[in-house]
Amino acid sequence: MQIFFSSPWIPAEWIRAHGLEARALGFAPDLDLAAARPGAGVCAYAEAVVGWLERHAESAAVFASTCDQMRRAFDIATRRAPSRSFLFNVPATWQTPTAGQMFRAELERLGRFLEALGGRAPQAEDLVRRLADSNGKRRRLLAGAPRCRAHAYAAAVARFHWDGSEAVIEPSGPLPAEAVPLALVGGPLPMAHWGLIEALERAGGRVALNATETGERSLLPQFRLDQARTDPVAALVHGYLGHSVDVFQRPNTRLYAWLGQQVAAWRIRGLVLWHFVGCDLWRAEAQSLREAFRLPVLVLEAGEGAGDSPRSLGRLEAFLELLKSAASNPAVAATADKPEAHPATEASEEPR
Amino acid sequence: MSESLGDAPRKLGLDAWDQRYAALRQAGLSEPEYGGPLGRHVFERGDLRLRHLEFDNSAAALRLWNFLLTENERLRQARTRGEKIVGTMKDLGTVPVMAYALPRVRAFYPDGAWWTPCLMECSDGLLQQADLQGIDGSFCPVRALLPAFETEAHFPQPDWLVCSTGAVCDDFTAIAQRLERLGHPICWWEMPRRRSPDPGEPACTLPGGGLAPAVQVQWVRDELERVRAGLSGLVGQPLTDEQLRDGIREANRVRRLLGALREAAHGAPSAPLPALELLVAEMLTLHFCSDRDETVAVLAELLVEVQTRCAQGHAVLAANAVRVYWVNPVADLRVLNRLEEWGGRVCGSDYMFTHALDLIPETLPPLEALARTALADPMVGPTADRAERIVAECRAWGAEALVVARIPGASHCAREGAIIREEVRAKVGLPTIDLEIPPVCDAMLPTLDSRLQALLEAARARRST
Ligand code: SF4
Ligand code: SF4
Repeated sequence: MQIFFSSPWIPAEWIRAHGLEARALGFAPDLDLAAARPGAGVCAYAEAVVGWLERHAESAAVFASTCDQMRRAFDIATRRAPSRSFLFNVPATWQTPTAGQMFRAELERLGRFLEALGGRAPQAEDLVRRLADSNGKRRRLLAGAPRCRAHAYAAAVARFHWDGSEAVIEPSGPLPAEAVPLALVGGPLPMAHWGLIEALERAGGRVALNATETGERSLLPQFRLDQARTDPVAALVHGYLGHSVDVFQRPNTRLYAWLGQQVAAWRIRGLVLWHFVGCDLWRAEAQSLREAFRLPVLVLEAGEGAGDSPRSLGRLEAFLELLKSAASNPAVAATADKPEAHPATEASEEPR
Repeated sequence: MSESLGDAPRKLGLDAWDQRYAALRQAGLSEPEYGGPLGRHVFERGDLRLRHLEFDNSAAALRLWNFLLTENERLRQARTRGEKIVGTMKDLGTVPVMAYALPRVRAFYPDGAWWTPCLMECSDGLLQQADLQGIDGSFCPVRALLPAFETEAHFPQPDWLVCSTGAVCDDFTAIAQRLERLGHPICWWEMPRRRSPDPGEPACTLPGGGLAPAVQVQWVRDELERVRAGLSGLVGQPLTDEQLRDGIREANRVRRLLGALREAAHGAPSAPLPALELLVAEMLTLHFCSDRDETVAVLAELLVEVQTRCAQGHAVLAANAVRVYWVNPVADLRVLNRLEEWGGRVCGSDYMFTHALDLIPETLPPLEALARTALADPMVGPTADRAERIVAECRAWGAEALVVARIPGASHCAREGAIIREEVRAKVGLPTIDLEIPPVCDAMLPTLDSRLQALLEAARARRST
């Protein structure tokens, strides 16, 4: 049976150790992101997950509790497919022993769910092997990021989350030297929206950092193998809880610390905050991102298409223009601290 | 007092109330320090919405409103007296029980800024300021708290901020995170998403009758232990189990009074008290409106008023008013008046904090009791659980219709409203509607009115069948 999971913080290694296929729902080819009624206040991604589960009676889905929208989506799913839906309570805090206990207890509960679906009880050795394998793949994928164009990189990350396999990262052709390095920040970036990456490149930018769930940020969990040999479940807990970086965490200082390092390392000059309509968690960060990194932030809603609608394109171009002129004119760069001085970012603040 | 002046229960607009206030004073009405005519809140505080509301004409209701509307001043006075002020956020009803167990500590919910745009008819500009801070209309009205912190024009800066996180709404957790980034440190404590115990799994009964896995209760207890440590650190002395037990007993005094009030009001054949006053009374249980002893006095007086009216067969609304169960708080208080104007009465409610109404177990270790209370929060569990309680209350109170008030921007509303309505239709067969209510609904009144009228009409039609 295939078990689909809604978030990179659901341990796929654990599902696979139960002898089941684990697949990231965000990369399901038939995820219908158009199903959510615009204006209904429902996140299209969460809605698509519910719809997908309904259409696939042969599969089960593990929802992450990381946002209210997803928990409410689970409320719907559990009415329609109670035996095939599971809500994994991912704690928002991570600093306390309670958070670790919660995560571990949820793993055990997930294990019982998987066994009820025909999975086998995981073997310690097999799990250790899987953790070692995952460590290696995650590290190599992370190390390959600088050599790879953003679209190809997203495909490699998606493949890893889809079936655990590792695409060979081929160095891809360079972008023009003057392309502006950008960070693409946000939650899920399903394949249907990858057009955004090309649209950014066409507008004169390059995604030097993909901080969505289709990029480097989703690869951060690492497992301590010395710990795994004595207690593989503890290593799994520590690997995820200790290394996940996301907007829902409280406080979400890890996200900012990690972004800060990456922004400096890749000499990022602007942030593109990509979020689904109805996603309060990401949307609320726009101003904090501006303030924290003193960089212009362009907020794009998934409802505007894959970044290639005429309106989005116009805004992308204006944003890149701003960044280019900021590079050649420090006076323009100084305005980056003031959101009201950026037409491109201002335009993003309209109500849904 | 109203009976002694020979006035039958009825609702009054602000001007009429102020005339009545003069008469009551002449007749010897004595008031607490925060008393006075209601109309003063309009010019002293800018609570413009009061001009468009109708209030119960009892002296008990006058005291209730004055108590509610003077909270910020009373908090500032407490600060001047050197008391510590705790800003407790999101959990609605649990952490304040702990805070008030300590001497010279007051806790309040900055979340209450939710109603400020309504009360001030947006004249305060809080929503516009929130827009400028990047928290726009895609968030629920609680976004008003962000500028309220910055301007300090509403409530005083708390000495300590504590907020539940985890299985809480996206709006609040996102806004609270923004608040922290703006320089207001927060002690976050984890609230797991409540689930039903698995077969054979050790479980605990929660206030209200639900069940939760024992392990979840233990986690919340551990988290509340951290909150206890924070409170103890704030005052420089340990918050003991004994103090917590006393705190729980006092909170239960408030909850018992409110329970009796709801019982009397909802159970009466004709409504002895309007919906607005009942809503305000319920809100007092959350953090005792910053004064626990006074909350007891206010509720006790209100209860006597209701019991007297019931005993004398007096009511504030028509005897044949349609009994409506109300779900979620109304962003614009005026809508509850409108429901009554069109011939409805609220006979039961779930304003999203039913766990703050249920009695806290007094025989358990105090943090265990509080953990169970916190876990009973209808918003941290499955919507089906919430719907189940609503269905039971609709039956118990003989509801004839159900309104789900939709809160603009709220992350939970789109889905849960549909589930609750589906359950109520299926299990009780009531007509239901879902009304989106903005903080100032005047522009939408014709639509809201016609939808309310249609609902009440459908309920009346069911009577004849
Ligand atoms: S995109 Fe946002 S709202 Fe949607 S599921 Fe992810 S975090 Fe939740
Ligand atoms: S109204 Fe709803 S969305 Fe807004 S703070 Fe309250 S629970 Fe959260």
